[in-house]
Amino acid sequence: MERVLRAALLLACTAVPAAAVADSNGLTVGAALGFVDTSGHVSWTDGFVGKLRHSDDGATLVRGFIDWRSRLTDTLDAHVVLDAYDDDIGNAIDVTEAYLEWRPVPRSPRRYRLKVGAFYPRISLENVAAGWSSPYTLSYSAINTWIAEELRAIGAELTMSWRPESLGGSHGFAVSLAAFGGNDPAGSLLAWKGWSVHDRQTRLGDKLPLPPLPQLGPGGLFERQHPYVGPIREIDGRGGYYVNGDWRIGQRLLLRATRYDNRANPEAIAGGQYAWRTEFDHFGIQMTLPGDVGLIAQSMTGATVMGGIVDNAHVVDTEFDSRFVLVTRSFARHRLTLRYDHFELTQNDRTPEDNNPDFGHAWTVNYSVGLSDRASIAAEWLAIDTDHCGWVYYGIGPTATERQMQLLVKLRF
Amino acid sequence: MLVTRETSTHRLVAAIILITATAAAAASETIDVSVVAPDGSPVPNVAVFIDNYDADLGLASVGVQAVMDQRNRRFAPHVLVVQTGTAVEFPNSDDIAHHVYSFSKPNNFVLPLYKGIAHDPVLFEHPGIVTIGCNIHDEMLGYIVVVDTAIHAVTDENGNARLTLAVADGNYFVNIWSPRIRDAHENLVKRITDPAEAADGLTFALQKRLRPSHQASWDSVQWNEY
Repeated sequence: MERVLRAALLLACTAVPAAAVADSNGLTVGAALGFVDTSGHVSWTDGFVGKLRHSDDGATLVRGFIDWRSRLTDTLDAHVVLDAYDDDIGNAIDVTEAYLEWRPVPRSPRRYRLKVGAFYPRISLENVAAGWSSPYTLSYSAINTWIAEELRAIGAELTMSWRPESLGGSHGFAVSLAAFGGNDPAGSLLAWKGWSVHDRQTRLGDKLPLPPLPQLGPGGLFERQHPYVGPIREIDGRGGYYVNGDWRIGQRLLLRATRYDNRANPEAIAGGQYAWRTEFDHFGIQMTLPGDVGLIAQSMTGATVMGGIVDNAHVVDTEFDSRFVLVTRSFARHRLTLRYDHFELTQNDRTPEDNNPDFGHAWTVNYSVGLSDRASIAAEWLAIDTDHCGWVYYGIGPTATERQMQLLVKLRF
Repeated sequence: MLVTRETSTHRLVAAIILITATAAAAASETIDVSVVAPDGSPVPNVAVFIDNYDADLGLASVGVQAVMDQRNRRFAPHVLVVQTGTAVEFPNSDDIAHHVYSFSKPNNFVLPLYKGIAHDPVLFEHPGIVTIGCNIHDEMLGYIVVVDTAIHAVTDENGNARLTLAVADGNYFVNIWSPRIRDAHENLVKRITDPAEAADGLTFALQKRLRPSHQASWDSVQWNEY
């Protein structure tokens, strides 16, 4: 019954009258609905280990969102994104991002942007459409799926960008520096569940189910951890930061590098949530290849640690590494996209009773057709091969191939 | 080639009549300018203009208007050349608001967030390059080249531009400018002391590779919000 109510709510969202279409200015109401066919383990969203979002086949409302950008003054915007999902995590509708953005009129070739509020770190090259969705695929790469699951900055981001006149204007540079609170438990889900490939974005109030590992249960090593994680919370009172640099040459090339560190105290715990010290380096490239083939690749290498030191290592000491390559080509209203993801997660700790390495790769093929400014249809096939020895805790084999076929209508008003 | 005496006489008479007529009309002159990259390809969107013209042109620019449009999140044209004293209108033909500005002193200006035609034209009184942008859409970039002459043009898709001079003599310089050109200044100016030098057109053969074009556009990946 609750699901039916949520579905009705989502449909109600899509009926809201529109103020603007597909622009960064105004109100965009979006919905994605259609048929999903999956094979593999029951999804992590339903409390098990599956890397996909959906456990059941059939018709579903995959996502409803409201992306609202209001111009408060000529140089000050308010941007709020609300998301609704047809699952049992959190409220039916909740806030995904909410921030103010100040864009003072430039007085020199240097331009400044200041964001204050709750927002995604400036990392993804895929999630560039309204509501942080991807114009290329329905499911995000493993890297950006993890960002959707566990990363959100609550703080301020200052970006300075400039186009050196000496380089003719087509070269653009941007440097962002952000300081944020919250996001201390980020890393919990990655370390215990592993990587995923889907399109569910965690809202600020969401409590994400952790896999039912025996070490998280009563009498287990981590019994103080609640069976869910609220990744955006503040645990230890210490702020984190990220630094991002972009170099762009016209519409030919964009290079991006990011350093992220939530500076969490790995020994802190509050409200059933451990703080995880999570840091990583990220590199991204976006290119236009000959024949107008678009290429996007991102890589992320980092570590997340939790707990005190045992035998020179934290109780949980996990290194993670992932990269993907996406190629895409649009043919008038049609778009074809192919993506390959590789992901790894290794553990360096001395805690054999908690062992969750995760290795695998994923292929995604998406074909989309724009029917109008407001509607498009997309067919997407996705396959993930995983080697995850920790699955023996549940009495299931350490390897799996999970597949998903989605046939969706995406609406925007 | 064998030419009869009678025919050549006719030609001579015709030529004399033509020269006399031209001189009597105080001769306007056109100069065809082309700009070519080192690889031989034409260079569009290059500003071409004349300066240090020593004849009295009598071409005041009072009341002259020009238009810098905004379409599909771009400035159109990408490069606009105007004479000092020109008022430039900035209509927004998009269905989204733009916030047009320039920080190029002393021609700097701001047109707060608008659609359609909401602001008075901007008067450009100082020669120089005016870089224009949109404070909402960072990728929008355009140039207004303000020059002290009414004789100016912009090269077309084929890298060609035509200048029309009121008087077919004199001593002047033909200049070119584009944000993409990296050549030294002396390669971007041609001094003309005799109209015959420009009669067959002027070609600026650039020596250095061009910078990438900001205007080039590809659809496959999204560059707007990066």
